[in-house]
Amino acid sequence: MLAKPVIMGALLSGFWGLPQAPVVRSDSDSTERARAMHVLTRLAYGPGPGDVDRVMRMGVDAYIEQQLHPERIRDDRLDRVLDGFEILKMSTAELETIFRNLRRERAEAAMRADRDSAGYGGQMRMRPGQQPAQRGAGEYATRLRTLMGEFRQVAMARSVLAEQQLYEIVVDFWTNHFNVYIHKGAGPAMMPRYIEETIRPNALGRFEDLLIATARSPAMLYYLDNVESVAPGFAPPGRGRRPAMRQQDGMSDSMRMQARRPRGLNENYARELMELHTLGVDGGYTQDDVIDVARILTGWTLNPRVDLNFIFYSRAHDFGEKTVLGRTFPAGRGIEEGIELLQMLAAHPATRRHISAKLCARFVADEPPSGCIDAGIHAWERSDGNIRDVLAAIIASPEFWAEEYRGNKMKTPLEFLVSAVRAVDGVPGTDPAFALTLRRLGQPLYEYEPPTGYPETQESWVNSGALLERFNLAVAIAAGRMDGVSVDLDNVVPIISDHDALVDAVNHAILGGTASPTTVRVLRDQAAATNSPREARALLVGLAIGSPEFQRQ
Amino acid sequence: MCDRIDRRVFVKAGGLALLSFGVDPIFLTRAAYALQRPDSLSARKKTLVCVFLRGAVDGLNMIVPHGDPDYYKERPRIAVPRPGSPGGAIDLDGYFGLHPRLAGLMPYFRDGSLALVHAVGSPDATRSHFDAQDYMETGTPGVKSTADGWMNRHLRHRAEHRETPFRGVAVGPQLPRALRGNAPTLAIDNLEAFGLRAGQAAVRDRLTSAFEELYAASATGLVASSSEEAFEAIRMLESANPGRYSPANGARYPSGRLGRSLRQIAQLIKADLGVEMAFADMGGWDTHVNQGGSQGTLAGRFLNYATTLTAFATDLGERMADVTVMTMTEFGRTVAENGNAGTDHGHATAMLVLGGATKGGKVFGRWPTLEPEKRFEGRDLEVTTDFRDLFGEVLTKHLGATALDKVFPGYQNERSQWLGVTG
Repeated sequence: MLAKPVIMGALLSGFWGLPQAPVVRSDSDSTERARAMHVLTRLAYGPGPGDVDRVMRMGVDAYIEQQLHPERIRDDRLDRVLDGFEILKMSTAELETIFRNLRRERAEAAMRADRDSAGYGGQMRMRPGQQPAQRGAGEYATRLRTLMGEFRQVAMARSVLAEQQLYEIVVDFWTNHFNVYIHKGAGPAMMPRYIEETIRPNALGRFEDLLIATARSPAMLYYLDNVESVAPGFAPPGRGRRPAMRQQDGMSDSMRMQARRPRGLNENYARELMELHTLGVDGGYTQDDVIDVARILTGWTLNPRVDLNFIFYSRAHDFGEKTVLGRTFPAGRGIEEGIELLQMLAAHPATRRHISAKLCARFVADEPPSGCIDAGIHAWERSDGNIRDVLAAIIASPEFWAEEYRGNKMKTPLEFLVSAVRAVDGVPGTDPAFALTLRRLGQPLYEYEPPTGYPETQESWVNSGALLERFNLAVAIAAGRMDGVSVDLDNVVPIISDHDALVDAVNHAILGGTASPTTVRVLRDQAAATNSPREARALLVGLAIGSPEFQRQ
Repeated sequence: MCDRIDRRVFVKAGGLALLSFGVDPIFLTRAAYALQRPDSLSARKKTLVCVFLRGAVDGLNMIVPHGDPDYYKERPRIAVPRPGSPGGAIDLDGYFGLHPRLAGLMPYFRDGSLALVHAVGSPDATRSHFDAQDYMETGTPGVKSTADGWMNRHLRHRAEHRETPFRGVAVGPQLPRALRGNAPTLAIDNLEAFGLRAGQAAVRDRLTSAFEELYAASATGLVASSSEEAFEAIRMLESANPGRYSPANGARYPSGRLGRSLRQIAQLIKADLGVEMAFADMGGWDTHVNQGGSQGTLAGRFLNYATTLTAFATDLGERMADVTVMTMTEFGRTVAENGNAGTDHGHATAMLVLGGATKGGKVFGRWPTLEPEKRFEGRDLEVTTDFRDLFGEVLTKHLGATALDKVFPGYQNERSQWLGVTG
């Protein structure tokens, strides 16, 4: 958010060493403080120590403008942490080699395994929420598991540490919108490239570019089965004659089996492309449209020989005439009709509305008001689908700032966990244990099997078990017991023996001063019932992170 | 009637004061419900366990219409062979057969405690997983605005004198749509880890009461009701002390999410915590590619599913007389296999009902046949039984539901439409 020296300066000068630095509290000051708090919880993963004051000094509008231009923000501290991640230095080819070796390792282990036990675990290839690699304790299983854990932790480190907070939130939004399930087949080998090369570079660019990038991405082509979809009646040549279909080590078993069979259309990607990625389920398409979209995209597949790269395999393409949403795609055309289709879907009015509403659900309210949706749609029309402009318009809309929508959204598990660690100025390392705690909250990264991506609404995340789990994590974070994150509460709240002063310091550091009178009372009672000031501090920070106020944004 | 009771209780609970904070009244009635809870529970009650198979199960390979010639014509690579052939279906009645990996369920079919229902589904034509799952969970096909689920509405409208937070329980980190709504319900991912965790009991109790106080004082809406239920559930679990659980009768649950879930549901039922409706789900059914026939991906899912249900029934033993398991899925799959030896999204599917007073031992439902002109939109198995008729019958006969019009609003649940799967 701000250049490094400012942050260090604030920490070194013991900004929080004094009971809440007295800022003159005028009406306009408290209004501005509330605005700063609002942008820090909606456009960032919550404030860290001193962030509210920094945003106020900078000016809320200037902060928003800066966040909309992440390329202007230096991220030295994050860069130094990311330097420690081996996964970011690996190529897809290297990952693929590990994955291939893992398959061999598993096949050998399976042959050794007792056949009688097949009914008790052996068949569970696609267990949801479970990492198949964990079944193996072999060399490659361990290696891949470590790397994938690291890759999840990369996302956590970015979310916690990035000064480019809005950018990281938008990356998460698109990762979820264009959801891919990491545990399907060769998913682990494809996921890092999907995030780094498909999602991140396009996250604030034109929607059309992002859509086309996902359509051509190995991860999506594989996850939604488009790699398998070929012109009806197409029979691949015999083994060994066509290079693209020759049996390769890099091909999965299913790809290998398929390569030997006559094949045909697969509707999976075509349907989700319209239902989820662009038009929305009520976007006006029919089953016939689904079929013709699938036909247009036949031949969009992977080259198993070269890094699982995208290729257009014209032999598998359906060159017949198609009709989608009333538009005719004449016979005889290849990859270009697919590009035109994606352009048409990206520019469709239903897509504008669908995506704008979804952005508003993320940034304004679970049930987004029409004003901000319309603001997004107009910006989309003006900018030809520039995501940055659409976002800017939504943030500038009266609904974004309306009192009734402030603090009305429940944090998702990811938002809760990241904001909690930011609140205590925690620094994630490369240990994946931190990212894996998201499993306990039901939102593990890259592990949502259905293509919808995780839901955004509070009904999906508020339930008795989930709240208790948040309490447990809150206590663990405050006590410095969160694996993979180093926390020093001295950077956040000093040890204060006066109960009222301690409650006040915790309220301001963790809750931005928003604690309700009753929360303040409970915190004070708990402080009074604790002998050691150090323990009281940890307890109060834990309770504050677990409080109802902290669950909202 | 129910609305009047709600209002009375709500006023008694002092809920009016809360209204001034702009709290959604839907949650006020929910909080008010909590106050009716008595101190003790009588031992046994009827339980309905709903198992949602997410991703659309291929009903045609689950309950195989081996007597329908179009089945083999349309599925050259993935059909389950006729009974008697290697890897063949297990014959049920000369026309239908069970997938061979579901063999573990045959004893229940033979003794009549398992009913199979074919060509069942939703009248809505959507082939979207997500819409169709929502419709099946809200119980209102075609209506997206329904906020609560049919399971929750049953709990709400059957004015039960024994309210406990365990009356409606889902196993998993999220509360499924079917159980969301005004009546108190719980989501438990891991029973043994439910609650605040701390090394010493004193610390744990201290944390528990601190958070309880915090939420009683400051929380509103859904967060308030959910937290209240959480703390009450902690207390009940402590006094029931389910402890370390070992399944009875040598039951062995297979690995996987469904096994974990049903094991915990069995544990809760046996602890007599008042579970009336339980929910579990299992994914991995969206078999677009290489689904296999007698063997392969789908067969593996079937094996896990059947082994889990068998373990559950074995574990509960004679208690299964009080427990009905009903499995559901959002729609079926195409009659014809697709280009990748898989199947795409279709329409009608198959479901099963196990235990309780099930009068099974046969395949229920009118069979529309697979003839091309009989198919829904020319390609999929037609729905001849609305899922609400099946659910309504089981709700009424097993749980004593009397307000099906509230559970399935806008649907005339005619007894004459019921299949007679349960007595």
